[in-house]
This record gives sequence, C-alpha cells and structure tokens, in this order.
Amino acid sequence: MTTPGGSQAGPSVARRWGAHGWQPWGVSLLLVVLLMVALAQGHRALQNRSDAPLFRVVVSGQTLTLDAETHAAFGRELAELTQGAQSRLEQEMQPWIDERVEASFAPLQAAVPAYLDWYFSLRGSYHRLGVAIVGDLDEWLETQLSERLIEESGFASALAELQVDFPAKLAQTHQALAQDIGQTLHTRFVDRQSAAASDNDDAIHTIDLDLTLSQAFQGQWDTARWGTAGAGAVVGFVTSRVLVQRLASGAAARGARAVAGRVVARLGVHGARSLATGGTAAAATAPSGPGALLAGAATTAVALAGFAGTEYALLKAEEGIYRADMEAELETEVARARAEVKQMLESGTASSAAVLSQQLEVATRRAEKSGGVNERYRIFGGEG
Amino acid sequence: MSSARLSWRLLVRRDGHLALVLAILLLWSLAGSGLASLLLLPAWVITAQLIFAGSLETARLRRRAWLGQYLRVASPWHRLLSGGLVMIAWHQLLGLLLALLLLVKLRLLAPVYWPLLLIGVAGLILLRSVMRRRLERHVIAEYVPAVTRRLLVWPLGLLLTMSLVLLALWLPQPYLVGLGWEEALMRHVAADGHDSLLGFFERVARALDVTQYWAMQNATERGEVSESLVLVGWLLLLLAQSAFAWAYVRLLMGAETLREATLETLSMKIGKERE
Repeated sequence: MTTPGGSQAGPSVARRWGAHGWQPWGVSLLLVVLLMVALAQGHRALQNRSDAPLFRVVVSGQTLTLDAETHAAFGRELAELTQGAQSRLEQEMQPWIDERVEASFAPLQAAVPAYLDWYFSLRGSYHRLGVAIVGDLDEWLETQLSERLIEESGFASALAELQVDFPAKLAQTHQALAQDIGQTLHTRFVDRQSAAASDNDDAIHTIDLDLTLSQAFQGQWDTARWGTAGAGAVVGFVTSRVLVQRLASGAAARGARAVAGRVVARLGVHGARSLATGGTAAAATAPSGPGALLAGAATTAVALAGFAGTEYALLKAEEGIYRADMEAELETEVARARAEVKQMLESGTASSAAVLSQQLEVATRRAEKSGGVNERYRIFGGEG
Repeated sequence: MSSARLSWRLLVRRDGHLALVLAILLLWSLAGSGLASLLLLPAWVITAQLIFAGSLETARLRRRAWLGQYLRVASPWHRLLSGGLVMIAWHQLLGLLLALLLLVKLRLLAPVYWPLLLIGVAGLILLRSVMRRRLERHVIAEYVPAVTRRLLVWPLGLLLTMSLVLLALWLPQPYLVGLGWEEALMRHVAADGHDSLLGFFERVARALDVTQYWAMQNATERGEVSESLVLVGWLLLLLAQSAFAWAYVRLLMGAETLREATLETLSMKIGKERE
C-alpha cells in the first residue's frame, strides 16, 4: 500500500491529488471519460457480435425480414395506419350508408300519400268507424299501418335487405382497408429489409400480419362486441312495431282518431234518439226475448243509415283538417326513423372500426409476445 | 416572521448541500432517456467525486489511526503510508463504480422509493446533530465532524438497506413463476431501449433485477425449495439493495465532507487575505 511515487514525492503528490481542490475532479472526469470510451467500445463489440433479433413479418402475402429497429418503426407505422383506419372506414362507409338508407326509406315515403288517401277515403273511413265501434281501433290502425305503409310498400323487404347487406358491406370495406394497410406497409418497408440473415432460426420472430388482420376482423363477428348489439338488431329496431307505434302515435293521428271516437259517441246518441222516437223503449229496457233482438238490430240499421247521411260531411271536414297535419307528421316520423337508422349504422361502423383497431393492436402485441401473461407477483403484501 | 426566515436560511446554509445532491439525483432519475444519456458524463463525475471525497477521508482517518497505534512517531513510514496515489486511485475507482451503480439504479427506481431516500436524508441530519452533541465532550475537536461521519455510515447504511429490502419484497414484481430464466429475461428486459451506453447499463441492471425475481419466485413456488436458487435470489437482492444504500449514504457523506473542505479552504483564503 505504499505510494509508488518515491519516498520524497509521496505526501506532496498525495496532497495535490487528494480530497481538496479541483484536481480530483479532473481525475474523476478523465477516468469517467476513459471508462465510458472503453465501455462504449465493449458495448459496440457486443452489439456486433450478438445476433440482432430479426423479425419476419408476413404482410399482404409476402414476407419481409426486418431488424429490430425497422421492426419498431414498422410497429409505429402500423399503429398510425390503424389509428387512421377508423376515420377511413367511416368515410368509406358513409356514402354507402347514405345511399342505401335513402333507397330503403324511399318506398315508405312514397307510400305515405297512398296511405292517407286510403285513410280518408270513404271505404277507409267507414272501415275505421266500424272498427271503432266493434273493437280496438288502435290495434287495428297499427295493423293497417304496418300492412299498408311498411309491408306493401316494400319498405320491410328493403330494410331486411339493408340488414343483410350492411354487415356484408362492412366486412368488404374492412377487408379492403386491411389489404390497403398491408400493401401500404409492404411498399414502405420492402426496401428497408434487413440484409443480414441470421444463422440462428430461433432468433427470428415471425409475425403473420395478414393472419392478424383477418383475425382482428373475424373476431368481431364471433361476438357481438361492437355497439350494444349486432348489426342485425340495430337495423331490426325500426322494422319492428316501434316504428308503427311511433307513426300511429303522432298528435295529428291521435286527433284524427279522436274525431272517430266522437263520431262513435254521436252514433250512440243517434241510437238512443232513434230508440226513443221509435217507441221501442220497452224492448230496449227488456233486452231478453227475440223481439228485443230484432228491435235492436233494426234500430242499429236505422241509426247507421242516418249516420251515413249526417256524418259523411263530418268525415270530409275531418280530412280537410287533419290530412295535411298527418302527412307532415308521418313524413317527420319517417325522416326521424331514417335519421335513426342512419345514425345506428354509422355508430355501428364507428364501433366496429374501434374494435378493429383495438383488436389489431392486441393481436399484434400478442403476436410479438407470443402469448404471455403479465401478472404481478408479490412476496409480501398478498394480492393486489 | 423574520425568525422563521432566519431559521430557514440557517437550514439552507447548514443542509443546502444535501438538498442540492437530492435535487441532482431527482433530476437525473426523472430525465428522459435522451437527456439522461447526455447527462451521464457530468452526473457520473459529480457523484463519483462526492463518493470519492467521503471515502478517501474515511480511509485516511483509519490509516492514520492505525499508524499512530503501531509506528514510532519519528518513523518515515508515517509519511509513506499515510495514504498516497494508490489509495487515491483505489478510492477513485471505487467511487466510479459505486456512482455508476447508484446512477443506473436510480434510473430504474420506482417512485415509491423516493420517500425512503428523503427519510434517509432527514435521518442523517437528525443523527448528525445528536451525535455531534454527544461526541463533542469526548472527541478531539478537529476530528468531530469526521468521526461523526465515520460513525454515521454504518447505522444509516444498515437501516436504509433493510428498508430497501423490505420495500423490494413488498412491491409487486413481474410474474415469473414457471418460466425459464432465458424466457423471463426475454420477456421482461425491454429490447427496444435506446441504444446508448446508459441504455445498455439499464438493460444490464434490469436483467439482474429480473434474475433476482426469477430466482426468488421459483425457489419458493415450486414446492420443494431449491437451495441454490434461494441463495442466488437473496444474495442478489441483498447485494443490490445494500450496494445501492451504501452508495447513497456514501454520496451524502461525501457531500458533507466536500462542503466542510470547501468552507475550510475558503476561510483559509480569507485569513491569508487579511494577513
């Protein structure tokens, strides 16, 4: 442990290089620089010697061999493209949705005047009155609405077609988009492939991006994960009774129906009046026996005949009052339903795109990590 | 108001150097990887120098005590053995290694450890004032600060090591049970780290961490306890944590030493100017 500098030089040298002053800092700096240079050299040598991990990426049917750095860039570009995919999918789906929804709702819209014609026609009015007298007008009207407006007009079949076509179109667009992503990546990275081939096949991680893309796409049809329900249910929503009920429950429609109700009430008054004037009050108050039945039928027939005369004018007036409102209302409802269908298709597209990008991300990561769980482990402190 | 400010200034004057050291360490551990790569050289020099200053003083003190015990006063060996270039070189190297270890470990340190490090500094200040008061009556005045530091290192280092070990055991670790060692390394040592020297050090440290976790988890979880694995795991854990604690305490002590030396030089200069 002696100082090698000789017996005389020792202490003074030691003091000079000791704990005081700036010299030790200089020594430290020098040593650190030397060490860093040496270690950096060693690091570089180690890097050159070791097999840099290579990544084999199968994309759009072809294999790219990338080194780790390029692969990281590849991953970043893939993430960027996936981010953009969402808006692109929505953009590409938008015209189709617009056009198809428009086309599907056109027959419904066209059927509205015909329905109103029927509604305010003589036959329709009396039919309606008859139903109002004998049964549930609301239910019958709904049936009429769904038969005349929705089924006969061809709206139902158009909507069913849309229901079938939407997932197919979505699938097609997805596929095209995935292919486009794959091709973009391929063209961008085909020139950046790693020249060095690894002798060690284990060092190559193979990532089948094509498979991943198709899996990410398949996955969302296996489970109804996007949106609150599958596409079918989304579109099915308006074909059901809901639309009919909404069409039937507008204020003008209610008003028209209220007129019918008043007419029925009047009819009752008519019946009472005619019973009174017909002098058959006794028969009415004693409803048993064949005479009473006959008398009841006769008074009803008389009342209806009287009604036909006096109330026809009322029905025409009703048409004048309510037709315009009902038409406007039906058209508003149709427009609203159309907007809803469109919005549901759009949100279906959006959530499917979101699921696509999410699954793509997960699947890519899984492909890279080759299926690893990353749970936490504690020695003290239990779970959590 | 003014008394509060006065005491605050007093605190800064007395312990400002420790705050400065902590600030440097915090900056280092929070810096982004690019900035940290740039800062590696100055940070390494500063920490190494601080550790060197503290440990050289301790070594000289020890050597002088030993020589005073055995050598005659007139012997020339006093001068030759009092600590020269070899000792300086040795402690420079030691300082460099400890500093590197500290810096790399700080880069990977979870934020939960920071309160512990702060408590360490507070404990140092507290213990120092208590000890100085006690020692003043018994130790030669010239040596009181140095002896205080000498006596502080061990209890502080041990306490810090123990708390670090307990914290390391309590904190969640990656789940490595049933994995092969290579697989554990492949999975948990990020290969995409930056390609600088610091990144390399960080990866090495991370690999050591993972190895330690892997050994400990697999030794206790496989039913029969594998002794060599237990040994590897605990050795790595204790070594890593104690080396870190040691370096940290040494760094703080070095800051104390250097501050004192600087004050001494300054006062000597002022005295000379007055003459």
